[in-house]
Amino acid sequence: MAMFKTAEEFEKVIGGFFNLVADTPLIADKLLKSKMVIRFKYSDPDLAIVIDCSGDKAEVRPQDTETKALVEMSMSSDIAHRFWFGMVNLTKALTRKEMIAKGPIPKVLKLLPAIKPAYAMYPKYLDENGFEQYNITKAYKPPTA
Amino acid sequence: MGGYAGQILYIDLSSGNIEKKPLDMQFARKHIGGLGFGTQIYLDLIKNDPVFDALSETNPFVLMTGPLTGMKMNGVARWTVCSKSPLTGFWGDSNIGGFFGAHLKFAGYDGIVITGKAKTPSYLFINDDTVEIRSAVKYWGKDVYTVTDELKKDLKPESKKSGQVLTIGPAGEKLVKFASLINNKGHAAGRTGMGAVWGSKMLKAVYVSGTGKLVVAQPDKIMELKAELDEVYEESIGISAIHATGTATHMDVGIISGDIPIKNWQQTEWDDIDDIGPGAIEEKIFAGHKTCYGCSVACKKSAEVKDGPFKMEKGPSPEYETIGTFGTMCLNSDIESIAKANEICNRYGMDTITCGSTIAFAIECFENGLITEKDTDGISLTWGNSEAIVKMTEKIAKQEGFGAILAMGSLKAAEHIGGNASDFLTTVKGLEAPMHDPRGAHGYGLAYAISPRGACHEASLTFEAEGGMIYIPEIPELSADLPEGSDERAQLNVVAQDYGMFFSNCAVFCNLGGMPLNATQALKMVNYVTGFDYTLNEVMEIGRRVWYLKRGLTNLFGARAEDDRLPKRLMTVMKDGPTEGSLPDMDKMLSEFYELRGFNKNGIPAKNILESIDLHDLSALLHPA
Repeated sequence: MAMFKTAEEFEKVIGGFFNLVADTPLIADKLLKSKMVIRFKYSDPDLAIVIDCSGDKAEVRPQDTETKALVEMSMSSDIAHRFWFGMVNLTKALTRKEMIAKGPIPKVLKLLPAIKPAYAMYPKYLDENGFEQYNITKAYKPPTA
Repeated sequence: MGGYAGQILYIDLSSGNIEKKPLDMQFARKHIGGLGFGTQIYLDLIKNDPVFDALSETNPFVLMTGPLTGMKMNGVARWTVCSKSPLTGFWGDSNIGGFFGAHLKFAGYDGIVITGKAKTPSYLFINDDTVEIRSAVKYWGKDVYTVTDELKKDLKPESKKSGQVLTIGPAGEKLVKFASLINNKGHAAGRTGMGAVWGSKMLKAVYVSGTGKLVVAQPDKIMELKAELDEVYEESIGISAIHATGTATHMDVGIISGDIPIKNWQQTEWDDIDDIGPGAIEEKIFAGHKTCYGCSVACKKSAEVKDGPFKMEKGPSPEYETIGTFGTMCLNSDIESIAKANEICNRYGMDTITCGSTIAFAIECFENGLITEKDTDGISLTWGNSEAIVKMTEKIAKQEGFGAILAMGSLKAAEHIGGNASDFLTTVKGLEAPMHDPRGAHGYGLAYAISPRGACHEASLTFEAEGGMIYIPEIPELSADLPEGSDERAQLNVVAQDYGMFFSNCAVFCNLGGMPLNATQALKMVNYVTGFDYTLNEVMEIGRRVWYLKRGLTNLFGARAEDDRLPKRLMTVMKDGPTEGSLPDMDKMLSEFYELRGFNKNGIPAKNILESIDLHDLSALLHPA
């Protein structure tokens, strides 16, 4: 069963997080250099969000299905959610088509080091914005020595 | 039958005897090719007297192509070499792409077996039916690029087609323990020091020119398969990524998961990572795309540094492993210096993984006061000192001063340096670990520990399977969603070894260019080309036999259970970063693996297992009455 029951709920969580990322200069400055427009197409529940880095400021536009995007990334909402906790093996997800990418993929991969600080931000963001129930790191324990 | 050239060349450098033996098709069917041929031929040559030094004339050297080498298809240009390793003293093998393997088959040979030692520097001239041992006195001492150009030019008048050169550089001549063989200036048989084996035999190069054509047993079916595979390659994200930026693309992906060792495996995070990633490469040194014979993936790149202290002419660009060892491992954020160190390794003929890792080890010794500038010939071996790293690379290649100590590899250098230098080692069985951290993927830890040639991410397909690059739905272990941690890794390793021996050792698919293929497609390719009718079970059995043969050979050279261990440095828990708190449970994985493989407590496969897979000679050697 999917973690997010409705698109509205997921939009609030992931859209809010993308806005936080867009307002974080450490990350946003590097994204803006790419000048890319990326559309995320989520399923279960269905939601489209565009992150537009073509201007002076990174813009997050939920439900934007019109803007022409250079890259489209499709995945389930659960995969997207786990990705921001650093729990998704990106290579495996792409190989197994759990994430489907269309467009110049190497350009997207180049953004990975830039978004790395966002992994630490996500659980904190959930806790601080009333979304504690979605913070799966509280139950997740990494293997230890 | 198709695919094979039909003959194997036997060269005895001591006597000068040259023999061409027809390839026995029953032998081909049983062993497929590559290291399937190589391991069996090698064992047959040494079984009567298996005690010898790797640099003695008794150590044979075997070069074998696969049935697909030379076909105009993606990911099949590779071929293999094997011998006892001068670096580790155990089994050594290496896998290489480029053009030499294809041209050797065009000349009519599936492989070359070299024994003995020449009295003076020599090279092997192969021009279709003409095979001669010739003097290499005029080429001895010259670097790989020069020898490649000169041999091609000098031999052009007597060759019907442009030739290919496989050569050692001065490092191989001077017996640097991790010297490599290089084809076409940048395709290297890098690991385990096969170049030093050639140097000890006074063999500088093999030149080959061939005009023959290879036969495909079922050409219509292979054309159909190629059409099917065009779509598979078109859709593959992995292929698209390595086509665009080469293996360096992993610098962007690996930093997310903590896969990249930094500061000699002490960190998994580093603010300067972008300075040596694909973006920096494109901006500062990129000079074009390159490929291997018949492969449209084109994962190789060219680099050029136009001016400055690390100026270099256009040549092969550093790959991911090289950027790791000379870059992140040494905290060196100067991509031009990494390109220069890579060029030195190519020109002199040295393995970049061992060379860069050994320099990172030496830097840690220096920073901890175990060595000083007095020991290092005045070079300040500090973290991130790019000029020092490049200078030391050259000194190693020339066996000059402190470079001669490091030219033995880090394990022997640690013995020389003493103190707690061994704490900084990253070796298994004397081979420096590649740039993939088992603290993030525990199966890699077991793969490194039990690899017959020492720490290696390509000794099976464990790295590709656990890392997510391959998906083989026909084999449950290679398509499972593994739980976090060390569970199920022993079984994964066993199956990844068996399938891996078939895939990249015997059929000699490229682990990069062949990554989109499932088992059905790989098998079809082998069957349509050869005309054989292998089943998946059959190739898994062949793979298993080759794995036990490699393991048995390394046992025969002295490896025991205590050698199946990760070094302390790789078993040190990270206090932060993506792999924080995570360590492979080596005791559990090794115990499960030993049981699955039927090893005794010494790490030797049981007699009944070896005999059940027709390894009677090996069994008799490992279990004398």
